[in-house]
Amino acid sequence: MNLEKVIFGFFVLLAATLNFGFVIGDISDPELHNPYELVAALVVSLVATVLKFGDRTQLGAVHLATSLVADLQLVAAATVWAYAASTSDGAVSGGTMASIVSLAAGALLANLVSVVLLVVETVSYQRR
Amino acid sequence: MGNPLLTFWHRLLVAPTQRPRPAHLSLLDEPAAASAPIFLVLRRMRAPLIVLILIFAISVVGLSLMPGTDAEGQPHRLSFFDSFYFMSYTATTIGYGEIPYPFSTAQRMWVTFSIYLAVVGWAYAIGMMLALLQDRSFRQAVATERFRGAVARLPEPFLLVAGYGRTGQLVGRALDAIGRRFVAIDIDPDRIDALDLDALRADAPALVADARAPAVLVRAGLLHDRCVGVLALTDDDEANLAVVMTTELVRPGLPVIARTSSVVVGDRMAAFGRPVVINPYDDFGDHLRVALHAPTAYQLRQWLTSPPGSRLPDVTDPPLAGSWLVVGDTPFSAEVARDLREDGLPVQVVAPGDDRSVDLPSGLSTAAGVVAAAGDDTFNLSVVEQARRRNPDVFVVAQHVLPANRPLYDASGADLVLVSAEVVAHEVLARVQSPVLWQFLRDLARAGEPAAQALRERLVVACGEQVPLLWTVTLSPDGAPALAPHLSRGPVRLADVLRSPQHRDSPVGAVPLVLLRDGSAHHLPADDTEVRLGDCLLLAGRPAVRRALGTTMEDAATAAYVLSGSEVPTTWVGRALSRTSR
Repeated sequence: MNLEKVIFGFFVLLAATLNFGFVIGDISDPELHNPYELVAALVVSLVATVLKFGDRTQLGAVHLATSLVADLQLVAAATVWAYAASTSDGAVSGGTMASIVSLAAGALLANLVSVVLLVVETVSYQRR
Repeated sequence: MGNPLLTFWHRLLVAPTQRPRPAHLSLLDEPAAASAPIFLVLRRMRAPLIVLILIFAISVVGLSLMPGTDAEGQPHRLSFFDSFYFMSYTATTIGYGEIPYPFSTAQRMWVTFSIYLAVVGWAYAIGMMLALLQDRSFRQAVATERFRGAVARLPEPFLLVAGYGRTGQLVGRALDAIGRRFVAIDIDPDRIDALDLDALRADAPALVADARAPAVLVRAGLLHDRCVGVLALTDDDEANLAVVMTTELVRPGLPVIARTSSVVVGDRMAAFGRPVVINPYDDFGDHLRVALHAPTAYQLRQWLTSPPGSRLPDVTDPPLAGSWLVVGDTPFSAEVARDLREDGLPVQVVAPGDDRSVDLPSGLSTAAGVVAAAGDDTFNLSVVEQARRRNPDVFVVAQHVLPANRPLYDASGADLVLVSAEVVAHEVLARVQSPVLWQFLRDLARAGEPAAQALRERLVVACGEQVPLLWTVTLSPDGAPALAPHLSRGPVRLADVLRSPQHRDSPVGAVPLVLLRDGSAHHLPADDTEVRLGDCLLLAGRPAVRRALGTTMEDAATAAYVLSGSEVPTTWVGRALSRTSR
């Protein structure tokens, strides 16, 4: 067992699960989407990105690209939320919430690709 | 190149100019290494970056959880964005100081904790970054990358110099002085540093690397289209052999000049293509013989193969007959003794004693010459000194080993000082300047003293005491577009081509050394030699003469004036008028 692989798999998977947890629920209902979960998803996604730095294989490059996409989407979601909250004194309207969640859903897609890549890498890994 | 259209254009436009090369050589190119330093940074910065992200996350989330109050005393917590904003300017020590409401005690406690956490995180990250910049492998990666870029961007034809020791330095400086570009590799960082400090006119990319590795030579531009030759000048015979071998296998046919001090290695080099092998020890004897039998030819050889700005060296005045004393027990002294014996001169070899005592035999007082060749400067100098004292008229030849001792040899009054690095450098320079120059100089030594003296007179009259510029002119439609139409109508006298473009009654001042026609070289062509289309001339003259002759070669009106004395109109109107008046 390789500790580095465990940590890597852990963060990639955790980024996807947190992201999924945030996205799930009615897209326009602010009650169903916890800001702490978004922050956790963003932080874990950033850590996963850094873990993918410096891998010069083709698979590593695609891994990094998916992570960067996820980061970008999550940062956009967080920015929209922060801006909307500051202009409407904390409360977020249903429409704004929908756009935040849809941005996060885009990140979820990227994270799912990451997980698929991880699985592909694991399945094609041969050392007996 | 996956796009078939791109492949098609590439084949159509680029392929013809490139040499065909075996497919397996792509292994040597290492394209991925182009971003090696970046990957190294990313890889090493993983841990510090993750620590920073976690510290930020903890601080921001913690701060947003801390209870506080707003201006009216109502409970209020910082939003995520406000905490992130606050932590950003605090953790980076900017300390902007803008907060919506004064902090509660809980918030202050958390901020205090976060500040210490952030300072540790930043110190760790910056420390890692600085350590990385100091890291040897990182600096090597950056230097290699810069070198590769500099070589790839070289705009002019260049030579690859493997080994930048004494010989390499002499050759490099001379190449730079005659306006040739070169790329240097050496295994010793000090020599590469010395190259950086050298006041060269053009920038010479240099790398600390082992020239024996093929990948290093490829990185230094061996496969580059503008690489016109390889000079293997390291002081390691095996390394030079490896360079010759790699060049012939990777780019067959590329000119190679290699130095060796071993006949066996020289033979092994000759098995790879047609390298020019220079063996300084072998050449010493040749030098000495030329210096003895044809002092003027020797003087010219040294002069014409020295870098620009060199003055005409003094002519040696050797004794023609008499016995010789060779002091030393090195390969060089053995070689010299053999060469002198082959010339029919009586030679006595004196080996230095075990305690390095200098004990010159009584034969010295009647000897014609002494060769001090013990492979040791102090010993050689003491031989020179003793010989001079006991027989002031004796001709003294000394082998010079360490460059630092040069002034001592100059002061010692030795008649001829032979330096291995200089012997090699002179020959390399001659061969780089023109492939026929070296053969010409060798033949000049056989042609006899009067011929050499006459040539010296001509050169000194034409160019002065400074070494003349040597250049090659090809009388082809490409090399001399203005002259080619005249030559295609029939042969022209050489003297007519070499008239001055200002006043055709006087010569331009170029001395033709070699006329190359159909692969055979005619040395010192006479004035009434007829030149034809396709001939190649090796000329000597001042730089201004080269420019003047350039106009004769390239400007149709000048060519017509020089050859026939007729003024051809150069403007469109003038040409139209002259056509109607005809």
